[in-house]
Amino acid sequence: MQVAIASGKGGVGKSTITASLLYLLKDDYSFVAVDADAEAPNLGLLLGVTEWEEEREHIGAKIARINTESCVRCGICYERCPYGCIYIDDEGNYVVNELTCEGCNVCGLVCPVAGTITLEEVRSGVIRKATTKYGFPLISAQLDVGRPESGKLVTEEKEWAAKLMKELNLEHMIVDSAAGIGCQVIASLGGADVAILIAEPTPASLSDVQRAYKVVQHFREPAYLIINKADINPGFTGLEEWAEKEGIPILGRIPYDRAVPESMSMLKPVVEAFPEAKASKAIVEIAEVIKREILG
Amino acid sequence: MQIAVSGGKGGTGKSTVATNLAVALRKIGVRLTLADLDVEAPNDHILLGVELANEEPVNQFMPRFDYSKCTKCRKCAEVCEEHAIVTLKDGTPFLMPTLCSGCRACEIVCPVPGAIQEAFRVIGHTYVTPTPYGFTLVTGKLREGEERSMPLVVAAKKRAEEVREGLLMVDTAAGTGNTVSKAVEGSKLLIAVTEPTPLGIHDTELILQLGKLMKIPTWVVVNRSDLGDVGKVRELAEKYGAEIVAEIPYSENIVKSYVEGKPIALTDYPEAEIFKGLAERVAEFLGGGA
Ligand code: SF4
Ligand code: SF4
Ligand code: SF4
Ligand code: SF4
Repeated sequence: MQVAIASGKGGVGKSTITASLLYLLKDDYSFVAVDADAEAPNLGLLLGVTEWEEEREHIGAKIARINTESCVRCGICYERCPYGCIYIDDEGNYVVNELTCEGCNVCGLVCPVAGTITLEEVRSGVIRKATTKYGFPLISAQLDVGRPESGKLVTEEKEWAAKLMKELNLEHMIVDSAAGIGCQVIASLGGADVAILIAEPTPASLSDVQRAYKVVQHFREPAYLIINKADINPGFTGLEEWAEKEGIPILGRIPYDRAVPESMSMLKPVVEAFPEAKASKAIVEIAEVIKREILG
Repeated sequence: MQIAVSGGKGGTGKSTVATNLAVALRKIGVRLTLADLDVEAPNDHILLGVELANEEPVNQFMPRFDYSKCTKCRKCAEVCEEHAIVTLKDGTPFLMPTLCSGCRACEIVCPVPGAIQEAFRVIGHTYVTPTPYGFTLVTGKLREGEERSMPLVVAAKKRAEEVREGLLMVDTAAGTGNTVSKAVEGSKLLIAVTEPTPLGIHDTELILQLGKLMKIPTWVVVNRSDLGDVGKVRELAEKYGAEIVAEIPYSENIVKSYVEGKPIALTDYPEAEIFKGLAERVAEFLGGGA
């Protein structure tokens, strides 16, 4: 089974909760964990991974390059780039901004001087594999600074994870999805059997998770909700009301607890670092519900 | 002039800093427009307690094939970097709309005039919202199910430039992909919001790298500064020639003002002073030349 954990935005504790759930599920199930937040991966850090066993470069992003020698400075590429990624440098040369180029090749198609603009394949990032000290494997990706196509990186991560599932005969894939709702998230949620959404009771988090849920609905996946920092905003009932209205079962509520940031500084799942903390107890209960209701 | 507020990781308080800095800057007389370019999860309006207004759709080009003219030469499919056009065995092209980025490469190469017609779809919206704080907020919001945030970042930034008054302050998405660099592009100053936790430090390095690659002077604001080792952030900042300009300790007051949608910069809490100090530094940097 493929389970995706999403929140619509970072900062609501998705990775900490995911790390804790993985820790609690490891004895009863076999699975591969995937950190699909390619722009800011941190599951590896939280699970104490210090060395990667295998690393694959992902070449696939495309970037346009302009040959200054043959360029006649007509400016057509500058006019036509749909994303405004071509600029004129101090010497009057037309240059592609490699940190924003989407690699669509429109400039190459419109340039009147053949061969002046080439589309080059560049590294978009790396995908890594480690066996965590808890025994299960983790696949994680890191997008290079300024590169497009983080979605493709996530798709490749999941392909690698699927292969590992076969090789090692694992039951599940648990995907810690990226923030946002764009291509990375679509790649994270696509193909999942179940989505677990994490949100905190604030208007901002509600707005983000509602948007993530629309993507989940798009894939027609059943969704569940975990409410984190459940007690920080007692007057705010919007999150629970929304879940009820949409018929999204609430797996549990985790109270705000300073043990969580402290465990993060120790680079350990909170349930391992402080098993007696009130947040840990809540997560243990949630893990039991997940075992019963989702993983079976 | 334009400045950017960013931060490698989500949830470091980037939007909190951006909105409060905007409020604090306005309070000391700096005219500005704030642009929320976190198009996948825009939240500045929520933190400012305002309802998005003046909605405008962002229309994106997509090809519509006129099969009575199309010669099934497949050129459009071959040129599409997004693989948004699939062809049947006989060469008949079909579009998969959500993959299309609207770049028009297919239209450019199609050899048959009129075989590719212009169609559009709405991929999101931009908003121009007046706030009670004396500045306007421009927001870009990607439609759920759409994959590509770049066109929306471009559209929202363009609208922000059209309506801007004085300083343009952009609040970017998390991460350091190319949509973040697109949002940051053109800024004279990058304010990176970080956390001194091991995770935060890892992501801080990435945003500092981006600042360096883009050759933009970078300042660091350390949020929840008592939750970790600020010394590590300082080392990193020094390595990249950045400067720590503010430290904001973890504060229940900020959490409270955050959930209430009321900027802390307007309260009497001691945290308001931090934003005032930051605003003064930014104003000084701008040299009155906003
Ligand atoms: S490849 Fe596309 S995005 Fe890149 S510079 Fe050329 S036209 Fe612009
Ligand atoms: S279109 Fe070609 S020749 Fe013209 S400015 Fe661009 S690169 Fe140079
Ligand atoms: S507009 Fe660009 S992305 Fe869309 S179908 Fe044409 S070539 Fe492909
Ligand atoms: S390039 Fe034009 S003529 Fe050729 S298959 Fe595409 S739409 Fe038809």
